[in-house]
Amino acid sequence: MEDKEESMKKDDGGEDILSSIESSSKQTRIFKIIVIGDSNVGKTCLTFRFCGGKFPEKTEATIGVDFREKTVDVNGETIKLQLWDTAGQERFRKSMVQHYYRNVHAVVFVYDMTKMNTFEGMPTWIEECERHSLSPDIPRILVGNKCDMNQKISVATSLAQKFADANQMPLFETSAKDDNEVDNVSAIFMTLAHKLKSQKPMMSNDYPVLHKYGSKEMKRAKVISIGREPSSRSAVCSRSTATSDGTSCSC
Amino acid sequence: MNSTRKSRTLTKKKPSDHLSPATRGASPCKIDGDSGRKIKLAAIHKALLSDPVDVATLRKLAISHGGLLNDELRRKAWPKLLNVNVFEIPPKPDADVTSHRDYHQVVLDVNRSLRRFPPGMRNDQREVLQEQLINVIVRVLLRNKQLHYYQGYHDICVTFLLVVGQDLAFALIEKLSTHHLRDFMDRTMDSTKHILNYLLPIIGKANPELREFMDRSTVGTVFALAWLITWYGHVLSDFRSVVRLYDFFLACHPLMPVYLAAAIVLHRETEVLSGECEMTYVHSLLSKIPQDLPFENLISRAGDLFVQYPPTALAKEARLQYKQSSTLSKHDEFEQTSLRQRPDTILRQRKKGKLTTSQLKDINKKEHSPVVKVAIWAITASVGAALFAVLNTAAEWM
Repeated sequence: MEDKEESMKKDDGGEDILSSIESSSKQTRIFKIIVIGDSNVGKTCLTFRFCGGKFPEKTEATIGVDFREKTVDVNGETIKLQLWDTAGQERFRKSMVQHYYRNVHAVVFVYDMTKMNTFEGMPTWIEECERHSLSPDIPRILVGNKCDMNQKISVATSLAQKFADANQMPLFETSAKDDNEVDNVSAIFMTLAHKLKSQKPMMSNDYPVLHKYGSKEMKRAKVISIGREPSSRSAVCSRSTATSDGTSCSC
Repeated sequence: MNSTRKSRTLTKKKPSDHLSPATRGASPCKIDGDSGRKIKLAAIHKALLSDPVDVATLRKLAISHGGLLNDELRRKAWPKLLNVNVFEIPPKPDADVTSHRDYHQVVLDVNRSLRRFPPGMRNDQREVLQEQLINVIVRVLLRNKQLHYYQGYHDICVTFLLVVGQDLAFALIEKLSTHHLRDFMDRTMDSTKHILNYLLPIIGKANPELREFMDRSTVGTVFALAWLITWYGHVLSDFRSVVRLYDFFLACHPLMPVYLAAAIVLHRETEVLSGECEMTYVHSLLSKIPQDLPFENLISRAGDLFVQYPPTALAKEARLQYKQSSTLSKHDEFEQTSLRQRPDTILRQRKKGKLTTSQLKDINKKEHSPVVKVAIWAITASVGAALFAVLNTAAEWM
């Protein structure tokens, strides 16, 4: 047990970037994704879960910026996702994190579904991105974390959905902690990977097939996305069941 | 752990009840065998008992191999290094800690700081200490409205709590926060950024090739941010290494943690230069601090770097307004007053009102040799220019 905890210190859940960079061919495309949101919403746990496959037993406040990486296969192409996990405290975002907005390919906004104030903080984070002049073409997704805490959910899906809709982002609700959600967490980042690979607009039924998870049917309907035709302002989206394809939308 | 903190009843257990130095693994330090250790122990005691306290020697001993040796000595020596009278701990503020603007953030961070506590500690014991940690931090903030909490401050405070207990930790952290850590506690992190700006110039002076490589990679300095603002408490898992570094930092100029960061990067020169010259790669390599670093050597190297490239010589390049930094500008006065401390034997009697007239004489009238002041920097530098630099630096400090 102690050994495990010790090793956590060194093992940040990602691949060994040093060896993976060395071994990777120059052809491997690298996508830089910044993960932002208020303190304690689970940014570290989400990235750790995706890159390392497990929930870290002891996480600490992130100071500055941490880095995790995972190589994934998207329709036969090996691509590398670099996740920049940032500190949530406001003072860090104002002067330390700016450097990391440069050349990002995607943004993941995270809030805690059990804490309304972390959801209410989202507009500030969006403004933050705007301040760093991120192109509107850069894919953004909204992730509500800690959906396993059923009794304490305070941010209703409908509310989050409206917000996501207004900001033209797909919404996902998940839990980095719940082992049953591991495929879901992966699906979220894989959705982004597909999007980055294809650079198509994130519209309904436009999600690429996640063949990697094709053999395993997801049990829970937690992958949510917005389907909206450019002409339609209807934001009524039903929660869709993630199919064996990994993601889908039935809006 | 749940994000909401359950309210707990504070027990009256002192941390020392379940955290004796022995259980925290205060193993003997390697300083030329037992006899060397005994000599050092005696020297530390002698410095503590001198009247005034021989702070210059104490600093020298805190910097040299093995530092202050054990937590029992640290409990006596750290207050002297910080010029804190252990018999006059500032009163706890009356205000409710939960009323402070940063209370919520402190709770979030302390709740997540499980790794900072000794492995194997019972949960209930750790929870008592976490509660104390929150109280200590918020009390310091309540008494000093100008100070702003930052994530990482709790990593420093926990080290003091574990070594000296909550009451003394409160006094030491308050002093530290208004001096060494002051710049980190501004409303924004601009001053912190300025201090980080020293890092690459130091590396550049010592190894231009390495600096050029780092510049080219655009790695920046954020990889060292957690080292600096937590005094390495956040990144080192071995508590012994952390307290050893604290001996060093408490005895030195407030910029010393940056010089140590430079020493660490320079130590890893080959690794850095043999890798890819790319921001992600270099950030990833450097931010993962090896746990088996030769700290005694690095401390020595950091000292040499400080002597060779003192902060004032770098200030221009670091774009740091040296005199405008609260931490740096207040350091001179801090150094001066630290030299006028009475030993605890006297302070204890004074508190009890049992001092004789001669013992009460104004210590400020005692003469201080300039040599003593120069000795503040105690590491023997290995370069020819060192002595000259020490004298210059000392002159600027005093």
